[in-house]
Amino acid sequence: MKKTAKIAVIILAGLVWTAPASSQDKGGLVKKQNSLSSEYSLAKDSAFYFVLDILGRKLELRVRGMVLRSWPFQSMRFWGRPDLSGNVELVRKTALKAPERIVIKPGGDAEKVEPAPAPTGTNPAEFDLEALELKDMPKKFSLDFDNGLRILVKAKTGASGGLLGSIREGWRWYVDLPLRNLFGPHTGAGLSELELTFDNDKNAQSIYWHFFDEIKGIIL
Amino acid sequence: MFMKRILIAAAALAYLGFLAVLGAAYLIGLKQAAAWPPAGAGRAIADKDLPKVEKNVRQLEKRMSGLLPKGLYIVIDTAENRLYVKNGKDIVRTAVVSCGSGVVLEESGGKQRKWVFDTPRGEFSVKSKISNPYWVKPDWAFIEEGESIPKGLEDRIEAGTLGDYALGFGQGYFIHGTLYTRLLGRNVTHGCVRVGDEDLKAIFKTVPMGAKIYIY
Repeated sequence: MKKTAKIAVIILAGLVWTAPASSQDKGGLVKKQNSLSSEYSLAKDSAFYFVLDILGRKLELRVRGMVLRSWPFQSMRFWGRPDLSGNVELVRKTALKAPERIVIKPGGDAEKVEPAPAPTGTNPAEFDLEALELKDMPKKFSLDFDNGLRILVKAKTGASGGLLGSIREGWRWYVDLPLRNLFGPHTGAGLSELELTFDNDKNAQSIYWHFFDEIKGIIL
Repeated sequence: MFMKRILIAAAALAYLGFLAVLGAAYLIGLKQAAAWPPAGAGRAIADKDLPKVEKNVRQLEKRMSGLLPKGLYIVIDTAENRLYVKNGKDIVRTAVVSCGSGVVLEESGGKQRKWVFDTPRGEFSVKSKISNPYWVKPDWAFIEEGESIPKGLEDRIEAGTLGDYALGFGQGYFIHGTLYTRLLGRNVTHGCVRVGDEDLKAIFKTVPMGAKIYIY
């Protein structure tokens, strides 16, 4: 009987006692409020927007609060100002080899666009078409945002450009960017460069496909 | 000999100077990285404000969920050439489709018009549902073939090209059938979304008029 009473007291104490929220919980709650508020301001319109969750390591394309595509990134590195969070707008997409549209001028040089029947026995997913497809998108490119942030998106494979590319990339990351970061603020332009590496080519390519100029987004 | 030593010393000094500057740059970078906010970090608030913030969060979550489409809706990925019929978060049906080729057609003579064969991206809704649709060939269809543009409407009508059903989502764009089933999964259309017969029938029967379409 005494034992049962003790257990009851412990359970009651557990129910009555609620631990005060830790400062981290409270801070997290404020952050959640801010990110929800930012997202709601974008989601109430019909335009697509993106959410870059740096600590959650994912980039998402959304509309009306609904996730259309999610691209988890394998790794990231950063140089410059770390105050990235907030609402941003894509100003420019830059790639070394940006895809070009095929222009057809009947009566001129080009041919008609309707694809000819595929050669017998060829996998329709393989043969080339006169079209702009996902496979034509670059695997490495940069996205410049209105707050000065530049995000370099690249696929783990197929974007190095050989030995010369690796040397150039090493120089840029380990010498050029640190120096620009050191001297940049004195010229008034604080450096802020984030590099995201994705597991496969398709992820990087589809980000290029889906990120159109002036797309708005939130960085968490 | 002396000059050579001077030059070597100068080069070594320059190299050391460069390393020192680079070291300083790395130190600055590390200092900046240390300022990176930890997960969940945010502005501190007083205990008395906590209920207000919690209420705000609940309200915002409610508002956000209110923005989600109600009932069945269609999502189309133009890069992967996939169409999803969804209900809430559940995928009801997945179909391999063909979206716009991205090709540009330029008219050589005449009005020198230009068409870009992209599937439009954005939020749309099912505006019409048509059984046994006829294709009223637009001007570009004749220009592309190097044919003269007919004056009469009857010369523009073509039967069978669009399959058994078509769902219009505005500005002359449709989700319709195709004769080129081998090309499903590739970007080959003039902007419309081509679907295989079986999937098209299922989509036509299940998706109601007014249902939302999200094309990205």
